[in-house]
Amino acid sequence: MNNFNRTIPRRTFLRGVGATLALPFLDSMRPAASALTPAPPPGPPVRLGYVYTPNGIIGACDKSPRPFMWTPKTAGANFEFSPTMKGLEPFRDQLNVFSGLAQVTGRALGDGPGDHARATATFLTGVHPYKTGGADFKLGISADQIAARELGKYTQLSSLEIGLETQPLAGNCDSGYTCAYMSMSWRGPTSPLPAEINPRAVFERLFGDGDSTDPKTRMTRLESQKSVLDYVTGSLSRLQMKVGNGDKRKLEEYLEAVRDIERRIQLAEEQNATLELPHIERPSAIPDDYLQYTKLMLDMQVVAWQTDMTRVASFMLGRDGSNRAYREIGISDGHHSISHHQGDQEKVDKLIKIDELHVSMFAYLLDKLKNTPDGDGNLLDHSLVLFGSSISESNIHTHDDLPIVLAGSANGQLKGNRHLAYSKETPLNNLFLNMFDLAGIPHVDGFGDSTGRLANL
Amino acid sequence: VRTSLIWLIAAIIVCVGVTTGSVRGQSDQPGQAPADYTALVRTSCTGCHNDRLKTGGLSLQHLDLANVPEHAEVWEKVARKLRSGEMPPSTVRVRPDAKVAAAMVTYLETTLDRAAAAQPNPGRAPVHRLNRAEYSNAVRDLLAVDVRPGEWLPVDDSGYGFDNIAAVLSTSPTLLDRYMSAGRKISRLAVGDLAIKPAEEIYDAKRDPNKPTRNEQLNEELPFDSRAGMTVEHYFPVDAEYVFKIRFAGVQAAGEETEIDPYQVRIPVKAGLHTIGVTAPRENLKPEHDAPPSGPGAAAGGRGGPAQTQVPSPVDLRLSGARVKRFDVRATNPDVTKLIVGGPYNPTGHGNTPSRRAIFVCQPKAPAQETACARTILTKLAHRAFRRPVTGDDVEPLLAFYQKARATGDFENGIQSAIEAMLVAPEFLFRIEKDPVGADATSAHRVSDIELASRLSFFLWSTIPDTELLDLAERGKLKDPATLDRQVRRMLDDPRADALVSNFAGQWLHLRNVETVKPDPVLLPFDEALRQAFLTETSLFVDSIFREDRSLLDLLSADYTFVNQRLAEHYGIPRVYGSQFRRVTITDPNRRGLLGQGSVLTVTSYPNRTSVVQRGKWILENLLGTPPPPPPPDVPELKAAPHGKLLSMREQMQVHRSNPTCAACHGRMDPIGFALENYDAVGRWRRQDAGAPIDASGTLPDGTEFDGPSGLNQLLLTKYRDDFVRTATEKLLTYALGRGVEYYDLPTIRAITAESARDHYRISSLILAIIKSTPFQMRRASES
Repeated sequence: MNNFNRTIPRRTFLRGVGATLALPFLDSMRPAASALTPAPPPGPPVRLGYVYTPNGIIGACDKSPRPFMWTPKTAGANFEFSPTMKGLEPFRDQLNVFSGLAQVTGRALGDGPGDHARATATFLTGVHPYKTGGADFKLGISADQIAARELGKYTQLSSLEIGLETQPLAGNCDSGYTCAYMSMSWRGPTSPLPAEINPRAVFERLFGDGDSTDPKTRMTRLESQKSVLDYVTGSLSRLQMKVGNGDKRKLEEYLEAVRDIERRIQLAEEQNATLELPHIERPSAIPDDYLQYTKLMLDMQVVAWQTDMTRVASFMLGRDGSNRAYREIGISDGHHSISHHQGDQEKVDKLIKIDELHVSMFAYLLDKLKNTPDGDGNLLDHSLVLFGSSISESNIHTHDDLPIVLAGSANGQLKGNRHLAYSKETPLNNLFLNMFDLAGIPHVDGFGDSTGRLANL
Repeated sequence: VRTSLIWLIAAIIVCVGVTTGSVRGQSDQPGQAPADYTALVRTSCTGCHNDRLKTGGLSLQHLDLANVPEHAEVWEKVARKLRSGEMPPSTVRVRPDAKVAAAMVTYLETTLDRAAAAQPNPGRAPVHRLNRAEYSNAVRDLLAVDVRPGEWLPVDDSGYGFDNIAAVLSTSPTLLDRYMSAGRKISRLAVGDLAIKPAEEIYDAKRDPNKPTRNEQLNEELPFDSRAGMTVEHYFPVDAEYVFKIRFAGVQAAGEETEIDPYQVRIPVKAGLHTIGVTAPRENLKPEHDAPPSGPGAAAGGRGGPAQTQVPSPVDLRLSGARVKRFDVRATNPDVTKLIVGGPYNPTGHGNTPSRRAIFVCQPKAPAQETACARTILTKLAHRAFRRPVTGDDVEPLLAFYQKARATGDFENGIQSAIEAMLVAPEFLFRIEKDPVGADATSAHRVSDIELASRLSFFLWSTIPDTELLDLAERGKLKDPATLDRQVRRMLDDPRADALVSNFAGQWLHLRNVETVKPDPVLLPFDEALRQAFLTETSLFVDSIFREDRSLLDLLSADYTFVNQRLAEHYGIPRVYGSQFRRVTITDPNRRGLLGQGSVLTVTSYPNRTSVVQRGKWILENLLGTPPPPPPPDVPELKAAPHGKLLSMREQMQVHRSNPTCAACHGRMDPIGFALENYDAVGRWRRQDAGAPIDASGTLPDGTEFDGPSGLNQLLLTKYRDDFVRTATEKLLTYALGRGVEYYDLPTIRAITAESARDHYRISSLILAIIKSTPFQMRRASES
């Protein structure tokens, strides 16, 4: 272990340039059961990931100008990979494509425009967002957070939310919807979890801001953090007695944050003896290049799973409705502006290139997972990673026929190599329920607009 | 004329209401008897807005016009729609008599204003977390550490267009995590912790890849005779040695940027904030070299063999202006990519920094004095941090941190530990206002002087009150109108009032988005220098309107702006040389005001072309307060012209408007956007678009004709002046209160605009009127 950090080019790894794996997973990295954590279920834990791609995918919906660019022509096993998803073919055996799934709560339902906010908000919740530009926003808990409530019992962080694009710094987010709805992870109906877009902040969230990853130094730091939190708790309880109801709720939120971190510190203290943190370099700025940036952030997700800091991650490859110009692949138009392509061939071609780019980033993640040993296999064997968009045809904002791919075997429980076609408007939330089961989460009856589990999975 | 009359009446009524508190009875209502209005509602409104149809979720069928305040929210909406002419729509055949409609608006507004004066509803914002900007400023003012720590925190959610909305600002575990981390870093920098481990901070140069650097001074932090490079502000925690490494863009290999060997130097630096500059001498100032000898082996420094012999180019490292090292860089045009600052190494002392002078108001001479001195220090800091007088209950817990850390470290460690805790105290991070003891639920009360002091400083400065303000508040003097007036003027004169420009105007006008726009550098002449110039121009411009206490209308009409050579060339303004900004008079009426500035024109464009719709929408939303509803999801395809040729933007839009679904909104948006078509997607003047001459004329649905930017400006300053002033007031009030404007605030807004109209919309009159208004001075008690 001592020369751990000399033998492995971690900087390269984190930069996403290295083709192969950096950190071997050591079983000693896995925390043992303790006073605070329940004994984990036997076998390697299943990790759950949710990767979101913005502004739809060309050819997912029958109203698309290029049908079958995305949806495979045939259903069942050994299907032929469609042009846009070609990059995923190397993972065929551990991957299933879904068609027919929908998030119909993303439709207007009398609320008028704002499909990009609704698409983002509904993707993991299946709950129609209450339309407001103000403070009274309301949604529901998201799939990743239901999973995090259970899987988070065993890890220092219950989940990780990563993004690549900040909300606009000024102005409204989408057609009268508050920017809160541009987050896809929600801890509860009124608690959005904004994605972190700064690689350095993600790093520090995982490994702390201490001067060193040396266990003894870390313990001292944790001790001092505990006394600061005690002080905050004391101050809050004094204040709670003096303020009105609306104010109490705001302070309660702060108190919840305190408890969350206290729990984490306690876990860290218990696990510190066995948990060897990787010695990796802190990332500095956000890379200008979209590919480098995305890979760096995906690497963070992989390292978080590898060290078992968390088992749940949500990842937004872009913001829905965003006008990012993908100049790295020669597209200088804003993504959203061309996504209303009106059938224009040139725009559709550009959109397909962007779709392929996003798919290739997902393929990068799968490759990393596959090449990261974990227990008796690799991380891809022990995970379920969903990739998809909450809009199928961007020109007309359809919320059904969503492009959805699920990769990973969940410890050999899930067969791959299939295109599973479901009847139109089957809730995507149903698939999330299957995923909970596969991850060993105690039975969840349902959430959002789910109607049951998917059959024939 | 009509609207001025409304203001006059409103003002009189508000004055009467405020000064005498009298409530007038229903008998002396102004204007016509409600019967006429009831008839108007019946003939022109209830066809759709009845109990059965409830068009737009609204029924007016059973509302009593004799008791308007009972349904204040509905009638405010009716007044607004009626006044703007949005209602009744053209499909309603029975047109209301214009005079009756106008009188009805007056009747509704004056009635509502009177009711509001009699029974004010100041509204209530919940506990208010400091946002990122406020956190940075508060730390700067409390500890004299100017490192913008707010940028280490997650981005704040915004609502109503601003990121200081109390109800929207939430707290998450991630945020608390960052607060704790920031608290530790800040406190260690502030006291100059000698145990800080060396670390490297990497600064990336803002540069344009693949573009040669311009042969000019980068900014005023660098010497006049320099070119390109970068500057950063870096906080050096203690007196110690620090390592400076400079990285340059090297050989281009397969598109990947590689770095050549770092150039580095290690030097002692005094603690505190320093500006580090990396720059090269201007090209014409470089000494001439002999032609390099040719032949194999002669070119020792050539990386690519003899053919690539290079003459070393000097690059200077500067610290707070002074040159500390000149490097000879083996590149023809050294392009700095990164600056890395490492340290501290071999610390020699805490240093004598403004932070230490601010914190250590006493120095214990003997161990026995230590606790008393610590108590003095912490009492003083907590007083400022919590923005109120503090007691033993506040100081004792902090003193406990001091004692615990003192037990294992020195006096400084003790103070540092207490400051670290103070920076996550709820009363530092949140603005908490308390209802008076025994206040009736939902009754209104005046906020205390101490609460008012914080309201003022967070509104005007985005930071904690200074000692003068807090002192006046603690002595109960701030409520005195003359004192308040003097304080507001003092605060507006203070440099901290820059926050109004960066935080209020930055968000209102979407200027913050200039930081992130990405115009296509191939199609458009855009680079980082121009981005910076756009930001600087509009900041200086808005700042001048505020600082010189000009009229709000000058934002649109001012005949001056601020440019440097880069921007002047971009705008076609002759004879401006050098990188420093200066005020210039604008002779071209089209360039006047905000609508002629690159910042606004670029944030309302797509990366590769202009957007008539986005520009029109921006003006309707932010200047006129009548945002168009967003487009329907199933946008019909624009049909190609019969001749099958590519349609020009205007032709496309004309097709657009011939479709009635689109026309309702685009009829207003497009002409406004078209007026600015002479500006390209980065605000350059142009006469043609894609080979066709630009036609910037337009006609609004009501027949008003105008042409080009100056025509649009004229229209905004005359016909739409009141809408502009009202919108600006609404935005400023939202920002001042940290909550959305509600229907019960509209009487306040009418009173504020009336007040400021009397002083030609001078900025100070607007701000003072807001500060003296009901919602700023008062607060509704909590529902228990």
